[in-house]
Amino acid sequence: MKRIFETSVAGRAFGAAALSVALLSGANGAGAAEIKIGVLYPISGGGAIYGGPAMQGHDLAVDEINAAGGVLGMKFVTAARDSKLNPAAAAAAAKELITKEGVNVLLGGLASSVGLAISEVARQEGVIYIATIPKTIKLTTTKLHPYVFRTASNTDFEGDAMAQIVKKVDGKKLCDIQLDYAYGHDLGDGIAKALPKHAPNANIVIKLRPKLGATDFNAYITQIMGSGCDTVVSGLWGNHFVNFAKQAAPFGFFGNHVYITGGEIASHEVASKLAGDYPDNVWSNTYELWYHSPTDAHKKFQARLAKKADTEATAMWPVLAYNGVMLYKAAVEKAGSTDADKVSKALEGLTIDTPMGKLTMDAKSHQANTGQFWGPMKKVAGKPYRVMDPITFVPPPE
Amino acid sequence: MQGKYKATFWLSVVLVALLLLVPALGSKYLVDLTTEIMIYALFALSLNVLIGYSGNISFGHAAYFAIGGYACAIFLTTYEWPLIISMPAAIVLAGLAAAFVGYFCIRLTDIYFSMLTLAFGMLVWAVAFKWRGVTGGDDGFVGVAVPEFIGDRYAFFYFTLTVVALSTGLLWLICHSAFGRTLVAVRENRMRASFVGVDTRRLRLTAFVVAGTFAGIAGSLFAMYNRGVYVESAFWTESGQVLIMTLLGGLYSFFGPALGAAVLYTLQVGINQYTEYWPVVLGTILLIIIMFLPNGLVGLAQKISAQFSRRT
Amino acid sequence: MPPIEGKTMSMLANPTFLFYQFMNSISLGMNIFIIAAGLSLILGVLRVINFAHGAFFMVGAYVCWSTVTYLDGATGSFWLGVAAAAVVLGVVAFVIERGLLHYLYGREHLTQLLFTFAIVLVVGDLAKMIWGTDQYNVPYPHGLSGAVNFGFALYPAYPLLLCAIGVVVAVGMWLVLSKTRWGRIIRAATQDREMLSALGMNVPLVYTGVFVIGSALAGLGGALAAPRVAVSPGMDATIIIECFIVVIIGGLGSLWGSFLGALALGFVTMFGTVIFPDWELVLAYVLMLGILLWRPWGLFGVSEEESH
Repeated sequence: MKRIFETSVAGRAFGAAALSVALLSGANGAGAAEIKIGVLYPISGGGAIYGGPAMQGHDLAVDEINAAGGVLGMKFVTAARDSKLNPAAAAAAAKELITKEGVNVLLGGLASSVGLAISEVARQEGVIYIATIPKTIKLTTTKLHPYVFRTASNTDFEGDAMAQIVKKVDGKKLCDIQLDYAYGHDLGDGIAKALPKHAPNANIVIKLRPKLGATDFNAYITQIMGSGCDTVVSGLWGNHFVNFAKQAAPFGFFGNHVYITGGEIASHEVASKLAGDYPDNVWSNTYELWYHSPTDAHKKFQARLAKKADTEATAMWPVLAYNGVMLYKAAVEKAGSTDADKVSKALEGLTIDTPMGKLTMDAKSHQANTGQFWGPMKKVAGKPYRVMDPITFVPPPE
Repeated sequence: MQGKYKATFWLSVVLVALLLLVPALGSKYLVDLTTEIMIYALFALSLNVLIGYSGNISFGHAAYFAIGGYACAIFLTTYEWPLIISMPAAIVLAGLAAAFVGYFCIRLTDIYFSMLTLAFGMLVWAVAFKWRGVTGGDDGFVGVAVPEFIGDRYAFFYFTLTVVALSTGLLWLICHSAFGRTLVAVRENRMRASFVGVDTRRLRLTAFVVAGTFAGIAGSLFAMYNRGVYVESAFWTESGQVLIMTLLGGLYSFFGPALGAAVLYTLQVGINQYTEYWPVVLGTILLIIIMFLPNGLVGLAQKISAQFSRRT
Repeated sequence: MPPIEGKTMSMLANPTFLFYQFMNSISLGMNIFIIAAGLSLILGVLRVINFAHGAFFMVGAYVCWSTVTYLDGATGSFWLGVAAAAVVLGVVAFVIERGLLHYLYGREHLTQLLFTFAIVLVVGDLAKMIWGTDQYNVPYPHGLSGAVNFGFALYPAYPLLLCAIGVVVAVGMWLVLSKTRWGRIIRAATQDREMLSALGMNVPLVYTGVFVIGSALAGLGGALAAPRVAVSPGMDATIIIECFIVVIIGGLGSLWGSFLGALALGFVTMFGTVIFPDWELVLAYVLMLGILLWRPWGLFGVSEEESH
């Protein structure tokens, strides 16, 4: 399916006249027969690695809902905007989606700051916002309001799972390396909190905090090597991990350390791209694995996604965006309306079946913790790149 | 009033009157967009005091925008000061920061000046990023306590219009005073100006402070409008953005940067609504403007009006 | 190495760790120098602040990846990729310079800045259309994925090679600039352009040549960086500022200035992250600030008053 960026026939023409007329045309509002979804993922620059696949999952959910006749007799229509990984730009786009497009709901976000900025707009305008990727705990604690909901995992939960693995691999001396920004600090805290509970014998020897966006990790690699750690706990995600791994490997780093990491390094995106350069002794997590279907629902979801993405080996991010749309759909059905207050009430305590099992939106915290797969990454005969083996599903805490 | 200024004056009055009518069009979106454009326009106008009038290209102008924004947000929210104190205090703080940085930067010229402003700008960014307890770090300072009387979208629109119109008027007076004319003279020929006894350094420092102060005004408006301030506002890309707005409108014309801000911002927001490939479209439009409009958008406007008056 | 508890700064007393840090600093410096050399050349001669240099760097990495992938990672495919990156970027630069930039030299310097910014948008987005949003991995070239044994410590082979290439680029450029006729013309252009055209030199041709060579160096740098980093959208954003810092602290258009600036940046970054771990974010800017306050025209730069 073609991604729906065009919102009107006029929009397809790029003439300056068409543009300015459309820009000035004010609120056209949602038609009676459709439900408009405003979606904000980064689809340009560095964030596009995540935003691109997330949009696939989003589009899949919308297609499926519409193929089944929509909700309350109304079809879903998407208005997508590039959040540009910039909170002010995302906030402006969110406002525009509400006031010009007349969307009924906002979905998406990636960086925590962008999530918080969109949430602030949702609060002011009284529109539901479901944060599908941002993990910051603030969204559903200090900055909680009736219209914000979160379906992503959070750092306390991630840290807890990592502490359990520390116990499993019998780590004693730990090096903690996290990116120097909110997610990194929060995950570091989450690990520190959980260690006494799960692995009381483990000690964190040094804490390293490279900057967000760092590309050269040599100084940190040599510091870890000099510290005598047996285990590394980390939340370097995406490119940060790739850079770290590629630069550490020639030192023989991964032969001497067990590397336990959050940040979804077990995902298809990272594993397939690193392929033969994916290091040994890595334990990590992922929301979803295309080669592992614990439920029938997942198998079907995977088949549909594979068809849409035109490859069997699909990415991890789509399922997050997919679940966000499905959750909203269920809430509208339950509320029997798209009215924000009614939908907000309906979302509280709502449970839906997702490809990954049941997802329950907590009535008080507005958070639906998603479970994740955790395990060591192994070379397996017949697989083109490393896969998680064994795969353990760590369910969300009660 | 001189003849050519008379026209400017009446055009401005008409523009303000037209802006006053924007809410009457009944589109909330248009009200928001206009508010955003007015804030960016003031930001770009402030930079032009440095670039257009004194020929100093700052790569770190976002710092004062961000300082104004953070300070206003923190005074209003953390300290719960009233707006009448918070906003002026924030503006003064931005001006003081500009005075401090300017003191060092004005010793340099050209690209070295630019790079020093960049370094200071990035220091401000890093402090905002690191000082989590006060600024909220990279999560941003979310939930600014905006006073009730400007809490509503329309009220804030009129508030912004008032502040921006007054600030622009003040800037215009500054730029067209003896001070402004001396700035231009220095820009044209620094050597000659210093021969006739102009203290060029002091003059450039004053321009730096004026620019920083007015950027602070724009920043404090932006913080209240978004009810949040984010570190991205202090990042060098934001400085680049306002620089482009200024260049696009046309240097050496007082209102050019405001026009540039309106055009660039509308393009950025507008194209994003139609295609995910907005950068290539925006880039191409910019290229066309650069290649075919040597004096920016204002230059084009002047050319057209010149053609028109020749014919009549 | 004996393990060290607590503060990592105490590790600096460990000779092996010092050796590592020393090598890390040089390899980071040379890595940046290879990219910044082209920027320095363009800035020195054309006086254009080329923001697109980072985008060219990124495209260079993509071209290298495509070449390696197309050849299925055959031996030597990486080096073919490096050459391809330099050639492709040279051609792209030629088209941009002859087709567009060429017409802007008579205009404000700022117009050219705006121009390069527009090129960043276009090139970055075209790269996304061609290569998509995935991150790619370029394996280390054959025989260079391991480490070199120094007897008392191992150090990765590939960064060592980058150090050597950095020196080769520096010496090569120095030879060309100081020993050849074209080099002398380019150097003259750095110092006095009016003189050059008064002497009847074909200045536009010099400009085209410099822009092409400078951009080819960006492509080369991108390709050479590719094995150590994830090749992905957004990789242009971080490198460009580092390059500016290096060029500025070195002094406009000074080859050895950039060389020294890159080394300074390498050392400050590597040792700074150990000594001031909380402020890695700003180390590079503090370095630039310090040097510009101390020597306003950069390490090897000439003050404007003197040059006129």
